[in-house]
Amino acid sequence: MTPVQRFAAYGRGEAIDRLPCVPIVGNTAARIVGAKVSDFRGNGKLIADAQVAAYQRFGYDVIRIFTDLYTQAEAMGARVHYPDDETAYLAAPAIESVLQIASLEPANPYRDGNLPAHLEAMSRAVDAVGNEVVVTGALTGPFTTASFLIGTETLVRLMLKNPAAVHQLCELALQSAIAYAKAILDTGCTPSLTDAMCSTTVISPRQFREFGQPYLARLIEFIHGHGRSVTLHICGKTRAIWEQMCETGADCLSIDNAADLAKAKAMVGNRVRLMGNVSPSEIMLQGTPDQVRQAVRECVLKAHDNPKGLIVASGCSLPVETPFANIDAMLDAVREIGWPIHIEEGMETTACKA
Amino acid sequence: MPENESELFQALSDAVVGMDEDRARELSIAAVDRNIDAYTAIERGLVDGMGRAGELFESEEYFIPELLLCSDAMYAGLDILRPHLRIEDASQRRFKVVIGVVEGDTHDIGKNLVRIMLEASGFDVIDLGRDIPAQRFVDTAVSENADVIALSTLMTTTMDAMAEVVEKLQTSNLRERFKVILGGGPISPAFAKRIHADGYANSAPNAVKLVKQLAGVPA
Repeated sequence: MTPVQRFAAYGRGEAIDRLPCVPIVGNTAARIVGAKVSDFRGNGKLIADAQVAAYQRFGYDVIRIFTDLYTQAEAMGARVHYPDDETAYLAAPAIESVLQIASLEPANPYRDGNLPAHLEAMSRAVDAVGNEVVVTGALTGPFTTASFLIGTETLVRLMLKNPAAVHQLCELALQSAIAYAKAILDTGCTPSLTDAMCSTTVISPRQFREFGQPYLARLIEFIHGHGRSVTLHICGKTRAIWEQMCETGADCLSIDNAADLAKAKAMVGNRVRLMGNVSPSEIMLQGTPDQVRQAVRECVLKAHDNPKGLIVASGCSLPVETPFANIDAMLDAVREIGWPIHIEEGMETTACKA
Repeated sequence: MPENESELFQALSDAVVGMDEDRARELSIAAVDRNIDAYTAIERGLVDGMGRAGELFESEEYFIPELLLCSDAMYAGLDILRPHLRIEDASQRRFKVVIGVVEGDTHDIGKNLVRIMLEASGFDVIDLGRDIPAQRFVDTAVSENADVIALSTLMTTTMDAMAEVVEKLQTSNLRERFKVILGGGPISPAFAKRIHADGYANSAPNAVKLVKQLAGVPA
């Protein structure tokens, strides 16, 4: 089955060959084509070539065009540092104080920062393999982009001291996100949402309801208006906001390894598909292939019977240097488990039908 | 304004928990005006309040935004009270921690929370900031005669920079002189053990417990 066929059959509740599986490959794709991570900057063709090559090498089910979370903020004026061969990081926010908010404008995805290069990558990947695999374009959530525009510490203080300013920033970030989402959809790609700073590792559920959820809901409504389903990833701890994440309208929640799949299934599994959640650092980067296999089996045992389905995945984007053997092990484990789900544990055999 | 000392300490503590920077400043000025011992006002007022804020953080009633505003109130009070510490209180040798985000990473909220909670627990903290080369941790720990080097990162790409600090200490024959502790999203106890660090904590309150343990202070 191609990934497109697999997802379609899985969605209809028909027989498939194995569960969908997505080790979230980001800059690791550079290692497939022998490029440096910084070579991706402004080079849509190389990003597409690398991501397509990585998909063909490992055989997973979703391609995600992604280099870092800062693309929209950078297009609005934030300064991003590009190390020679590692993932980029924020060097300085776009503005330093609320007085400068008026100087900010929503990004033009066809002109600003690296957005045009990412759009080119999406177009090229869709042209190359879009008939067999879903190609998604990474889209950073409004609250997270807002945090890169003024600095995270400043933004979270403002939530309590000057909430109107935070809403202004989120609104600007939302307008950028909608414009970029439109451009992503026009390439034939599906936007894939990450709103890292909405994690309850950082802000409270009440703050998420005020500053995160409403903007995500409007963004997702826009994407739904174009007939695409939406996956929402929030890093770190999220249990206290799963219900609210569902209320954004997201169709699939991608959850971090800091959260528990079985609990997510019990709480929201009848409303959303779940995606997760093998630890990207402890298992995928530092573990052995056997540990990866065991972690995959645990995820499947916890959530293969999720009413809205399960995508076996890493809990977050994979670190650049994740060993290929561990990515292969994730896919191999899912193939071994097969369909209907079949997991052997020691001498016992557990067969479950989903 | 509170009538007696105990009420004033309680009010200072409440101002910190209540994230009221102006109130913390006003009460600290009152303490100075009334010749109340600055050390006691800090301990029973500001530090007590930050401790309560830390407990609220642990029980998930407070999150990072609240904890930061509590610390703003604490520091506003400290700025006023510290110059009035008696010399023996001010110059007392305290357990010293050098802290920073390792090179290649600029995520520093977690590190800042640990610094705040350590300072609120009476430790002497040298905060190097973020994106700090390994050698600077070593050099600063030596020049400051520190006890602990605390390393933070949120990114997997920079975890190796933590190992580099430990290796530099080893090659300079300084490893036994300092305890090295780690924190941050991708770090695990297993990783800490593998690079021969002395400890790992998964939250700011737990980092304080870890440092207290290393300092031999009852938690």
